[in-house]
Amino acid sequence: MQMTPTRRAFLSYAAALGAAPILPAVAQKTGTVTMGVITPTTGTFAYAGDLVARGAALALEMHGSNVLGTNVRLLTRDDEGKPASGVRRVQEAATSDGMRYFIGAYSSAVGLAESEVAQREKLLQFAAGGSEDFTGTRCGRYTFQWSAHPYTAIRATLEYVRKSFPQKKTIYTLTADYVFGHALLKYTRIVAAELGFELVGNDNHPFGERQYTQYLTKVVAAKPDILLLNTAGADAVTAIRQFANFGADNISVVGPWTLEVDQLAELAPEMRTGLILGQNYYPDVDTPANKEFVAAYNKKFAALPGYSSAYAYDAIRTLLLAMENANSVEVPAVIKALERMSWDGVLGRMSIDPNTHQLVRPYFVARCKPASAMRHTADFAEIVATGNAPQPSQLNECKQMPEL
Amino acid sequence: MLWLVSAQLVNGIAIGMIYALMSFGLSIIKGLLNIPNFAHGALYALGAYICYSAVSMGLPFALGLLAAFAGAALAGWALQRFAIQPASKSGYLAQLVTLFGAALVIEQMLLIGWGTIGLSYSPPPLLRGAVNLGFTVVPKYIAFASVFSALVIVSVWLLIERTKFGAYLRAGIERPDTTRALGINVDLLLGVGMMMGAGLAGLAGGLALPLVGATSTMGGDMLGIAFVVLVIGGLGSLYGSVAAGVLVGVVQSLTAIAAPAASTAIIYAAMIGILLFRPQGLFGER
Repeated sequence: MQMTPTRRAFLSYAAALGAAPILPAVAQKTGTVTMGVITPTTGTFAYAGDLVARGAALALEMHGSNVLGTNVRLLTRDDEGKPASGVRRVQEAATSDGMRYFIGAYSSAVGLAESEVAQREKLLQFAAGGSEDFTGTRCGRYTFQWSAHPYTAIRATLEYVRKSFPQKKTIYTLTADYVFGHALLKYTRIVAAELGFELVGNDNHPFGERQYTQYLTKVVAAKPDILLLNTAGADAVTAIRQFANFGADNISVVGPWTLEVDQLAELAPEMRTGLILGQNYYPDVDTPANKEFVAAYNKKFAALPGYSSAYAYDAIRTLLLAMENANSVEVPAVIKALERMSWDGVLGRMSIDPNTHQLVRPYFVARCKPASAMRHTADFAEIVATGNAPQPSQLNECKQMPEL
Repeated sequence: MLWLVSAQLVNGIAIGMIYALMSFGLSIIKGLLNIPNFAHGALYALGAYICYSAVSMGLPFALGLLAAFAGAALAGWALQRFAIQPASKSGYLAQLVTLFGAALVIEQMLLIGWGTIGLSYSPPPLLRGAVNLGFTVVPKYIAFASVFSALVIVSVWLLIERTKFGAYLRAGIERPDTTRALGINVDLLLGVGMMMGAGLAGLAGGLALPLVGATSTMGGDMLGIAFVVLVIGGLGSLYGSVAAGVLVGVVQSLTAIAAPAASTAIIYAAMIGILLFRPQGLFGER
């Protein structure tokens, strides 16, 4: 039987279609704030996905899943570590689920692509990742950056090396060939000049590379004092594994933003001993908010938190604080509150630079311990230095924050 | 400059032998079943995990490698017996989809069994450190892995070319109907051939463990390279894959001198180039 649409049915469909774009907004106003956790559970950064979700869920749970009398719910989506997937997930969650706030992505390339959607759809994004573009050329009023600026990271790490190993003067860099690696390399050049290091070589490697011996052969031949890894995730783990096979113990391996606590377990103890690593977060950070976080996390998951969980926990906690500060769950009011407030966060006293939306925060340098010095299975390293030098303002390329 | 080229040549040949071992198993299965084994990468990952578990239990690395071979061979036999053989009745496409599915199942099982955190293993003390060749240093383990791969390939070659079993196997690959008519159990031969190919993938995984660790997705990374090697060597050529494996390793390594960021892309570009000018591959006959 063939169905012929009636005029009344046609008008009903048209009305429904017309109303679709405002449905999420209606949902937002009817008593639930939806926050997205857009994070990779597959791909190069797959290890981080569940950990981010854990941190976000814990922050919400500790806040009673409620803010200003409004229920808060989390929805999680897999961005696969790919910009196209991340953009699609953010768009779908905003359109179909009424999401107005999200944390993500873990990868800079994905986060920057999602940032475009955040500005267009007026969604508040609390991002992580090592690209300076979040708070530089592609800064936006709706995007905030939780992770440290690459300048802060490089400066803190190399300052420690300069002070602790004054005899080490030459650096060979291995750089991931995408925005994250390029940002680190740019600031490595600047900071190395500031601190008197000599850069003797650099090789860019493709993202997802699994064969490093061709680069490492060049590194060993150049005989630098330091191999500086401007790369992260599974790429960095593989590079360190293969470098360990060369037995070049006189070359120190330094990673300004290379491996977080979550990934140190992937390396055999003899591969990680002596590594000098810049850290966005370390469980030993001595602040009241962090102690509360570590205790709650350990109780719930019987493990210590790492960068991924800490980022999600602190970002969600900060958003909830900002909503209370603004006395509103509307995005523009929360953005204005974030731009002016100062609070005790997991990393210490924190604030946001209103001109760039960069979180003003410390950065930690850790040195990996030999297996014999570990107090427990996750006691991989100790914090040996802290730095908080902000990016010099003349180097920032965020022209002006647009009006809301 | 000459020393750098020589150093990269040595490195390329060493890495290329590991590629060759992986591709050799893939080539055997392609010859036997006439289908590209999309689960080959997952079997490679399985081998790495089995080897890791074996050495974690205190077994010597050599036994870990043996366990990697045996475990992957067993998985290969099960794959042939319970998935590919039934699917073969539904045609070529069904077998391809089955192998895709099997790869995903194995990868998920690895995640369930060993977790999402990657695993590392340092080579035995005897194989740690590097050998100084004067113009370059070569990690002892990479040297061992390449020599070991070459020995395994030669052994399998002798088995296939110089034994009665090998003659049956070659007959089963080239003239399955005639072989059946002679009273030889071709299905059994296919099962054994699949075990051999899968076992070599597992062995390559175990061998790669100290270099790339063990992660559930490591198979996908290696499978891409193995297919490039297979295509360059020639789909019909068992031994073309060995020469192509070394060639790919050398090209990848030499490219790192002038254009390091392109050292992976170059092998795919080389494959396209060879397909354009010699579609049957460098050593293929048709």
